Amino acid sequence: MSEEKPILSVRNLKTYFDVTKGIFTKKQIVKAVDDVSFDVMENETFGLVGESGCGKTTLGRTIVKIYEPESGSIEFEGKDIAKLHGKELISFRKDMQMIFQDPYASLNPRMTVGEIIKEPMIIHNIYNTDEEREQRVVELLKIVGLKPDHIRRYPAEFSGGQRQRVGIARALAVNPKFIVCDEPISALDVSIQAQVVNLLKDIQKEMGLSYLFIAHDLSMVKHISDRIGVMYLGHLVECGPSNDVYHRPLHPYTIALLSAIPIPDPDVAKNKQRIVLGGEVPSPINPPEGCPFCTRCTRATERCHKERPKPIQVGTRTVACHLYEK
Amino acid sequence: MALLVVNDLRTEFKTDSGRVQAVRNVSFQLEQGEALGVVGESGSGKSQMMYSIIGLLAENGIVESGKILFDGKDISPSQFAKKKEYDEFMREIRGNSMAMIFQDPMTFLNPVLKVETQLIEPMLNHTDMTKEQAREKALDLLRKVGIPSPEKRITQYPFEFSGGMRQRIVIAIALANNPKLIIADEPTTALDVTIQAQVLELIDDLKRESNSAIIMITHDLGVVAKLCDRIAIMYGGKIVEIGTDKDIFYNPKHPYTEGLLRCISNPEDDDEKSLTPIAGSPPDLLNPPKGCPFVDRCEKAMRVCKDYEPEVTDISKGHQCACWLLDRRAVKQ
Repeated sequence: MSEEKPILSVRNLKTYFDVTKGIFTKKQIVKAVDDVSFDVMENETFGLVGESGCGKTTLGRTIVKIYEPESGSIEFEGKDIAKLHGKELISFRKDMQMIFQDPYASLNPRMTVGEIIKEPMIIHNIYNTDEEREQRVVELLKIVGLKPDHIRRYPAEFSGGQRQRVGIARALAVNPKFIVCDEPISALDVSIQAQVVNLLKDIQKEMGLSYLFIAHDLSMVKHISDRIGVMYLGHLVECGPSNDVYHRPLHPYTIALLSAIPIPDPDVAKNKQRIVLGGEVPSPINPPEGCPFCTRCTRATERCHKERPKPIQVGTRTVACHLYEK
Repeated sequence: MALLVVNDLRTEFKTDSGRVQAVRNVSFQLEQGEALGVVGESGSGKSQMMYSIIGLLAENGIVESGKILFDGKDISPSQFAKKKEYDEFMREIRGNSMAMIFQDPMTFLNPVLKVETQLIEPMLNHTDMTKEQAREKALDLLRKVGIPSPEKRITQYPFEFSGGMRQRIVIAIALANNPKLIIADEPTTALDVTIQAQVLELIDDLKRESNSAIIMITHDLGVVAKLCDRIAIMYGGKIVEIGTDKDIFYNPKHPYTEGLLRCISNPEDDDEKSLTPIAGSPPDLLNPPKGCPFVDRCEKAMRVCKDYEPEVTDISKGHQCACWLLDRRAVKQ
C-alpha cells in the first residue's frame, strides 16, 4: 500500500518537560521523547505502541505542534514545521488533523454535531456559504456512518462509538492529508472498536490519507498498521513492517511485550509460556544511563548499563539494541 | 452442592427517566475452585449482577427478585425485612468468605491509611487474631503477591506504590481470610500490558494454590481465555450463552458470541482478514426489547425473536444458550 515518498519525517526529535518544583531544588527534566526518528510514507498507517508513560502521546502531540520540541526536526511534506509561520502554518494545521482518545471530553457538549463539524471549515475558510458547509457536513456524516438528521443533536445524545464517529468527521472536515489518531478506540467496547477501525481503513482507502495510529492495544495496532514503532521510556526501540515486528520481534522489550498479550484462544493462552517482565518502567525523570530497558532486560550485559544503543538497520527494520551490533 | 447458585436474579435501578432493568432474570451456578469469566460490553449488566450478589448496589438499585445461595446459605436480599439487617448480614460475609477485587486500586485503597492498617483490617474484623498475628499474616500475604521487601513496604501509604503494586495489595487484602469466592471486576483493565501479564500470572498461581472460586468480570476475551474454566457471555442484562472455555471459543452457538469472536483480532493470525464488526449498538435497558435483546443487531434474526424471549437451551453438559435458532422449529440457516 505504501509508496516510497515520506509525507512525514521525524529526525532526532526530543521533547522535554521541566518539572522542577521550587527554586531551591535541582532542575528536573522529564525526557518524554528522547531522540526519536522515523518516517511515515504517503497512504501509510504507522502504528505507535508502548505502555503508559512511554511518550507516545507526547510524540503525537509534538508532531501536530501542540508541544514545542526541545531539538530535532519534523518535516511534513518536505517542510520543517518548526519554521512555519503565517499562511503556511495555517495550511499545515489544515493538512494535519487529530482524533482524540476520549470521545466524551473532546467534543464540546454545548455545540450541536453540525456546529462541531462545521467549526474547522469556518476557521480555515473552506466554503463560502453556510449552505455549502451544511451540505458538506451531511456528506461527512454519511461517510462516517451517521444519519443526516443527527446534525442538530448534541454530543450527549450519542453513544461512545457514535461520538468517536463525530470526532472523525470533524477531522475529515478540512480534507486533511495526515491524521494523528491518539488511542481512538481505547475508550470503546470491543464490538464498536472493530466498527471504528474498519471505518478508518475505508476512509484511508478512499481519500488517500496517512495515519499515525497511537495505541497500547497491540493486536489492534497490528491489524490496522503497515509499519509499527515500539516505544519505551521515550525511545523508539524497534521499528519495521508490522508482520515482521509481530512474528520476528528483535528487541527484548518487543519480545516481552508481545508475549504479554492475552491471546483470545483458550488452548493457546493456557499453554503459552510467557516472558513475564519483572519490575516496572523506570521514572523518565532519572532514566537509566545506558539502554532505557536495561533495568528489566533479561539479556542485559554490562555494556547495556553504560552505553546507550544506537538504532541500527537489521533487514527491513531498525532496532536499538547492542545484541544486534556486529 | 455448588458454592454459588444464582436463580432468576433481577436488578433494577430507579432513575428520573424510569427503571433501568440492569440485570434481567439471570441464573447460573459456580462450583468450588472454579473460575468463571463473565464477559460483556459496558452496560451489559455484568458488574451490577455481581454487586447484587455481594450486596454493594448503589442506593437506587433494587434486587427485584431472585434467589442467591452461597455456601449453602441463602443470601438473597429478599429474605430480609429491613435493608439494615441485610447490610449487617452481608458485612459478615464480605471480606471473609467472599472477597472482591476492583478495577481501580487507587479508589479501593484508602489514601490516608498505611497499607498495614488496610491489610489487617479484614482479619481483625472477622477472626480473633491478635494484631501481631495479623501483621505476620499480612507480611506473608505481601510476600505471596510478590511485593519485594514487605517489612519496609507495609508501613507505606498507597500513593508510594505503582499501579501494578497497588493491585497486588488489593489482591492481598482480598486473600486475607482465605475466601471461598473472589469476585474480580476488571482487575487488570487499568494496567499496562506487561503489568497485566504479571497480575494475571499471579491470579492464576493463587487460584491453583488456594482452591478459591473466582468470578472474573471483564470485556477482554484474551484474559478469560487465559484464566477461566467456564465463560458466561452477557448481553442486554441477560446471560445469552454459558459454557466451558472451549465451548465458547470453539463452538459458540449464540450469534452475539460468534460476532464478538469475529470482531477481535488475534495477533497469532497472519492473514489480513478484515474485522467483522457487529452493526448497531446495545439496547437501552430503560426499555429493553420484548424478545431477544440482540434482535436489532442480529443477522440471523427471525420474526419470533422480536416478540418472544428465547428459552435457554442445553447444548451439551454445562453449555447453554438462549437463542431461537436452537429451537427445533427454526429453519436451518
